[in-house]
Amino acid sequence: MLNKLEKIKSDTIVKIKDISEKTELEDLRVKVLGRKGELTTILRSLGTLAPEERGKVGKQSNVIKSEIEAALESRNSELSEGEIDDKLKNEWIDVTLDLPSNQAVERGRLHPITQIQNEIEEIFSSMGFQILDGPEAESEYYNFEALNIPKHHPARDMQDTFWTEDGNLLRTHTSAIQVRGMEKMEAPFRVVGPGRVFRYEATDASHENTFYQVEGMMVGKDISVSNLIYVMKELLREVFKRDVEVRLRPGYFPFVEPGFELDINCLICGGKGCKVCKQTGWVELLPCGLVHPNVLKAGGIDPDEWSGFAFGLGLNRLVMMRYAINDIRHFQSGDIRFLRQF
Amino acid sequence: MWLSLNTISKMVDISDITPEELALKITMSTAEIEEIEYVNEHLKTIYTAKAETVKPHPDADKLTLVDTDKNGEKVRIVCGASNHKAGDIVALATVGTKFSEEFIIKKSKIRGEESFGMLCSDKELGFAESSDGIKIFPEGTPIGVPLSEIYPEWIDIRLEIDNKSITHRPDLWGHVGFAREIGAILGKDVTYPVNHDLTKEFGNSDELKITIEDAKKSPRYSGLVIKNIKVEESPDWLKAAVTSFGMRPINNIVDITNYVMAEIGEPMHAFDRNKLDGNEIVVRMAKADEKLTTLDDTEIDLTTDDIVIADKKNPIALAGVMGGGNSEIDENTTEIILEAATFDAVTIRKTAHKFDIRTDAAARFEKSLSPELTVDAIVRCYELIKKVLPNAEAISQIADLFPSPAKDITIEITTDLIRKNLGEDIPDERILSILTALDYKIDNKNGKLTIEVPHYRATKDVSIPVDIVEEVGRVYGYDNIKPVPPLTPCETPELNPFRIFENSIKKFISNNEQMIEVSGYSFTGESLLNRLKVNEDKELRLKNPLSIEHDRLRRAIMPNIIENITLNQKYNESFRIYEMGRTYVKEERRSPDLVEENFRLTGAVYLKKAETPVFYDAKNIISSLMNFLRVKKFKLVPGGDTLPPYAHPGRSMTIEIDKKVAGYIFELHPETKAEFSINGEAAILDIDLNLLFDTKRKDKKFEELQKFPEVPFEISVLTEKQTYAKDITSIIEKAEQNLIRNIEILSIYEGEQIPEDKKSVSIKIVFGAKNKTLNHDEIESLQNKVIKKLEGKGFNLR
Repeated sequence: MLNKLEKIKSDTIVKIKDISEKTELEDLRVKVLGRKGELTTILRSLGTLAPEERGKVGKQSNVIKSEIEAALESRNSELSEGEIDDKLKNEWIDVTLDLPSNQAVERGRLHPITQIQNEIEEIFSSMGFQILDGPEAESEYYNFEALNIPKHHPARDMQDTFWTEDGNLLRTHTSAIQVRGMEKMEAPFRVVGPGRVFRYEATDASHENTFYQVEGMMVGKDISVSNLIYVMKELLREVFKRDVEVRLRPGYFPFVEPGFELDINCLICGGKGCKVCKQTGWVELLPCGLVHPNVLKAGGIDPDEWSGFAFGLGLNRLVMMRYAINDIRHFQSGDIRFLRQF
Repeated sequence: MWLSLNTISKMVDISDITPEELALKITMSTAEIEEIEYVNEHLKTIYTAKAETVKPHPDADKLTLVDTDKNGEKVRIVCGASNHKAGDIVALATVGTKFSEEFIIKKSKIRGEESFGMLCSDKELGFAESSDGIKIFPEGTPIGVPLSEIYPEWIDIRLEIDNKSITHRPDLWGHVGFAREIGAILGKDVTYPVNHDLTKEFGNSDELKITIEDAKKSPRYSGLVIKNIKVEESPDWLKAAVTSFGMRPINNIVDITNYVMAEIGEPMHAFDRNKLDGNEIVVRMAKADEKLTTLDDTEIDLTTDDIVIADKKNPIALAGVMGGGNSEIDENTTEIILEAATFDAVTIRKTAHKFDIRTDAAARFEKSLSPELTVDAIVRCYELIKKVLPNAEAISQIADLFPSPAKDITIEITTDLIRKNLGEDIPDERILSILTALDYKIDNKNGKLTIEVPHYRATKDVSIPVDIVEEVGRVYGYDNIKPVPPLTPCETPELNPFRIFENSIKKFISNNEQMIEVSGYSFTGESLLNRLKVNEDKELRLKNPLSIEHDRLRRAIMPNIIENITLNQKYNESFRIYEMGRTYVKEERRSPDLVEENFRLTGAVYLKKAETPVFYDAKNIISSLMNFLRVKKFKLVPGGDTLPPYAHPGRSMTIEIDKKVAGYIFELHPETKAEFSINGEAAILDIDLNLLFDTKRKDKKFEELQKFPEVPFEISVLTEKQTYAKDITSIIEKAEQNLIRNIEILSIYEGEQIPEDKKSVSIKIVFGAKNKTLNHDEIESLQNKVIKKLEGKGFNLR
């Protein structure tokens, strides 16, 4: 009986090596290990053997069974690799040719954030603002300390921060561009800095860890709150292509003093009260204020001689207001059913 | 934070203004009100009523039919409780009573019997967290009276303050602060709720010894010993008040200390005097190996950075954050020490963060509380304890150690500067009246003001002239300031060339190449990188990722785009997408301290079925972009050593700009397609925009149009199957650069009449000279030259 088993094993393994098709391999498996296979038949007949013999043969046949299985498996993966290699070879094309593209019928689109950002850059350029850029992986200094938010300041709770392993952070606001801008510019000046910002925050319909802002700043002699209100109203009229009712109320941001929240009349309900504006008729759109003297100093500007205002505009919020989009997560989803609509 | 208008109205008269108007005024001048809540409004439509008859429900064992008498009006109720009988006085919620948005009492039919309301339990009324059966009032309680009249103290209106908007205002973390603001806004007097005359009642039989080891960390500590204490449930008015403040009633002493914290803004604590070892309180830094079990029953390992309150031996409280279990008051407590103190804001914030115990006390201390509040808070606490426990007796004077008094702040500013900064012509008198109403003491010399800042604003909040500008502006009302265009010189802004470059590419790609711009996350993670076989741990990691899928910064946009293909193929037969964004190259620095950010354009072309391999679609996009940008030095090289493993080796090219690897064009590897369940054809293109921006452009230069005839010459070359046509055409190009005007691949043929392992490449060459017509001999010599060159390289004509 044991000899019979050995023979099945050696025969099968020889056959496995010769096989070059996966289907043949499967046929062989069924022939040997299947329900009516050679090995299975032997196992079934164990009952007829003497008890001591039965144990021995049973054990040995299990060993042989797993050896055959291993051989089948390894040949199978060899064949798969070969198949992939063959496929890659067959699919070789002459990449140096220039063949006409397949027909693409749909027109392309810019992301709605890009569209609004372009618009806003144009509006600001026409108002004499220079467009600046800053790093997304930013230092703690430009994101916080230079903005009058020292370590352990409670205001840091307002901006949950992603920290990177090299001791920096992902900028939590485009305000990080402010001091970089001041270092580069000479007063008087007007700058805007659009870009991607990050918050360490779980996402839901109204919260994202990745979104877009535009920071703006104007520094000059005797820049006042009334100038700030004027520029913001002009900006919003251009953005929304009509007069928008705004209100200015106190808001606390350590890098401005006085600091404001600028609300606009809810464009979804026209100020009557709806879900978007939490029934108040107003939507918080734009934090702003006069630049804090400490921030001017950090940028190398004498606060006794110069003053300025700064503001931050949330682009996602703006697009959502404009098109009545109810879920902020659409922006980063990559779903073109969303992107096609704009 | 919740602001109880019951509590506010004890300090300032708000009877002539609606809560909505008041909330708006506070929002416009002080801090954002997020919500107005009418507390226990439902009690107004719940009445006392007498259960006249109680009968079993004919169709339900556990229900009863109760006919109630609501002072003459009969109301039938189907009731599920079992503790009532005829004659009981019960709480009847009438139809329309609103317990919450979801739970409004309606007329209903329960198992065939009509019911016109509900009989309420203490739990439903909001008086208890659990209750057995419905509420039964004592005999003789008048019937037909709304519960709001029986429990007037439970009726309140509260405003929810956005805590962010008072981060800088320690004084607004108590009702007193808001009462002052409201007084200033409405022009009304404010009553301060502390009566210092009460200290005359304090005894001398006990003495509390206090030691402060570090005056900078603990500027002030005040304490008072009170005996004849009985710890028990608070009376209704106190429970209702702390509930309104958003806290849970605990017992009379804890509720009173919480009440005072909410009222005055000073966090307080009461120790069980008899649990202390010795007669002394020591305020010190913890020792390295000390432990403390806090009131919430967690044991914490203290460090030398934490301030503790200790008795002779052990810490009994984590200063400014939470009391210790070892000194907690309980039902056996008879003597307490009341504590009110001031601690260093940053130290408290760090401690609270470290142990993650964010208590109401810590939230206040980290804002830099005024040290002037401690004695006021103790006196107020004593008054309330006397109200609740008339036998209580203060047996010591207030022990008050104040080693580090706050400095007075004075600010000098002119009314002109205030007008100039606000850009609004506010008269001097108005400025002075606003500041006076806000408690500033002013010395005015013709508009030159010397202003003394009240102690509760002087810890951090108000210290420089612009702070005064804000005070005037906000009470005056920013909305009253008229917009004025700025008169600063405005020069033509300097352009941002990279931004213009980015925008022009986006517009070109979207408009000319029919691609849709997507935007993905800057993060990536191990599982995605493993699936793409590019997990080499080379990404800059986040210290505090939101998830394992997003725990590091992307080095490439291609993985995002591949995921986007999987997503979008579900709903689309074909699409072209791209993202322009930044990747983060850990080992390179843009400045000594910052990681390099590389701008890239990455896109994909997807077709469910492609006639021509989709690779060429992607290649055409790159070619036309290069053409559009007039890039001078670039090369498309088949294959390449740096191609990612998810590229199809037989359908890929590397883009080189200025001899540097600048990107790739490839179809996805079949295994990657399988891994990402992509059914269809997908090609990726990826290019480094920094290299593309920096590289030289071809000048636009006029070239004379061809005047002399051009002569075509068509040949077919027989070659190995996997020979690049480009290899053949570049040989031809070199044959005679000046006279070859154009080379074009006409077709590739495999099949009959061609050996199985070969192909035939048909090429059209155009000869022509700029200055003359080529004659027959010249043409023939050119043709021979081409053929010879080809044969020299082993390519034979068919």
